[in-house]
Amino acid sequence: MKKVALLALVFVVLQSCNTVKPYEMQKINDPEMKLSARTTEKFESTFQVYREGAAGANGGKSGGGCGCN
Amino acid sequence: MVENRVVVADVTSFQIYFLNNANSSKTKQRTLRMTKISVTLLFLITSVFAFAQVKDTTGVFKKRVLESSEVDFLSSYYNQDGTHAAVSGGLGTEKLSDFASNIVVAVPLNDDDVLTFDVGLSAYTSASSSNVNPFMNSTKSYSTSSGASGQVTTTTVNTSPPVGTPWQASSGASKGGTLYALNANYAHSSDNRNFIWNADMSLSKEFNYGSFGFGGGVTKLFNDKNSEISLKTNIYLDNWKIIYPTELKEYNLYGNDFQLYSYFSGVAIMDQNGNTTAAYLPSTFKPWTSTKRDSYSASASFSQVLTKKTQFSIFMDVLQQQGMLSTPYQRVYFADKPNYYIGKAQYIPNYQSPTNTGVFQLADDIERMPNTRLKVPIGLRWNYYISENIALRTYYRYYWDDWGITSHTASIELPVKISERFTVYPMYRYYIQTAAKYFAPFEKHLSTEQYYTSDYDLSAFNAKQYGFGVNYTDIFANGKFFGMGIKNVDFRFNHYVRSDGLNANIGTLGFHFTTD
Repeated sequence: MKKVALLALVFVVLQSCNTVKPYEMQKINDPEMKLSARTTEKFESTFQVYREGAAGANGGKSGGGCGCN
Repeated sequence: MVENRVVVADVTSFQIYFLNNANSSKTKQRTLRMTKISVTLLFLITSVFAFAQVKDTTGVFKKRVLESSEVDFLSSYYNQDGTHAAVSGGLGTEKLSDFASNIVVAVPLNDDDVLTFDVGLSAYTSASSSNVNPFMNSTKSYSTSSGASGQVTTTTVNTSPPVGTPWQASSGASKGGTLYALNANYAHSSDNRNFIWNADMSLSKEFNYGSFGFGGGVTKLFNDKNSEISLKTNIYLDNWKIIYPTELKEYNLYGNDFQLYSYFSGVAIMDQNGNTTAAYLPSTFKPWTSTKRDSYSASASFSQVLTKKTQFSIFMDVLQQQGMLSTPYQRVYFADKPNYYIGKAQYIPNYQSPTNTGVFQLADDIERMPNTRLKVPIGLRWNYYISENIALRTYYRYYWDDWGITSHTASIELPVKISERFTVYPMYRYYIQTAAKYFAPFEKHLSTEQYYTSDYDLSAFNAKQYGFGVNYTDIFANGKFFGMGIKNVDFRFNHYVRSDGLNANIGTLGFHFTTD
């Protein structure tokens, strides 16, 4: 696991050397490229928290606030 | 850049630290670990804050963070059915429907600050939770007048013995409910928009559960906004309103003589052979003395633009929960205890079949789970802009907790622009989990175990979810609705199938408005 984390870090640092300029971000800024769940996914995430043992790591809640798993 | 690298290295060591320590189950070690996590987080937040303060002193042109107020209306309808209801010990109907609605309003307070309110309402009907009290009587009411005052007294009597079944909904008080939720969030952006901090507060209430939560976080953008780090923490202080299955509630109220009083007075209890008996005594049952459930979470995320067409982000949460983590109305039946029933004796041989329409087995106990739980999910999003008309959105999550559940989640979405304003997106999600070490099916637990549940949400299963979405976007918001511009309309529908037989459908409609 440590090796994977280290490799990921090296990968990120290498990529960071290749900065994409703000005027080159037209495609990255497309609404479909957002690095978050869609607003309308909210209710799906809620039922999944109740029907599955796992939760979290999606920018939302990972537990608490409901009588769920 | 030096400061940025330090922050990246700290986050990585923070993640490795959690992974190295994830297998411990001792409470003291957990507490120590959470303290270390808090100290590390505090250090990280302070570092990022200090760095942001230095950078913020440059005078640059400021674009408002939010030009005008924005409003989201969201509505969804969900229904499910299955055969493993936790309320009746791992078998019975799981039929449930839920209608939910949310209004989210984001208001710019000035150039830098945005206040967001999210108000939600959810109304459900559930066959399984109605079976907290599965017994239905045929009743008859009559009125009598007495005395010189002519006072009228109404008396209700049972005209037939109570009948119930785990395979049908009863008319129990818990057959439905409403959830109210409120979330408020305040966010402040720095002058150069590279640093954001926020604070949030939440309240929610349903008939048997209340929650108060608060938290905050920081986000730092750097490397020409190619990179982003976020840290946040939240605390939820929740409280159960205890509701026990009817037979255990009566036992709790009246003790060993409970069959002589109240609901069970005069009601025949049968053994496995259908003979009337007075031997049912759920002595394993002990009432809960505390109803609190506290949750402490810390989250870190890192996002990176890789190329002009690719970006990804990594999320990691650590959640520590303590208190009442069991659900108090979920029954458990032990394999080493005799079975007792209320209803019609002829249905006892078919108890585990949906053909049983007239008998209900009395609980041996309720679900018992440890009073602490540590959860560690790690997620990765990777998006790729394939062409002017097609993008690829992917997500993967690994999850681990100290109750023995590990899971993998993978999802993929392929948005295709079919015109300037319309996009359709097919999607697929696969989920698989191992069982919690305290799970066993109906009547497989032993009364000598310390912890037990027959809740199939904690069993080993896989689930597939597939569906589609249609999105309409008008960036100029030319269409009007009550004076607000319609910027976006999104509809999505998904079908969900779990390998234990549970299946569900969910449809969601969302409108995004902007005010001028």
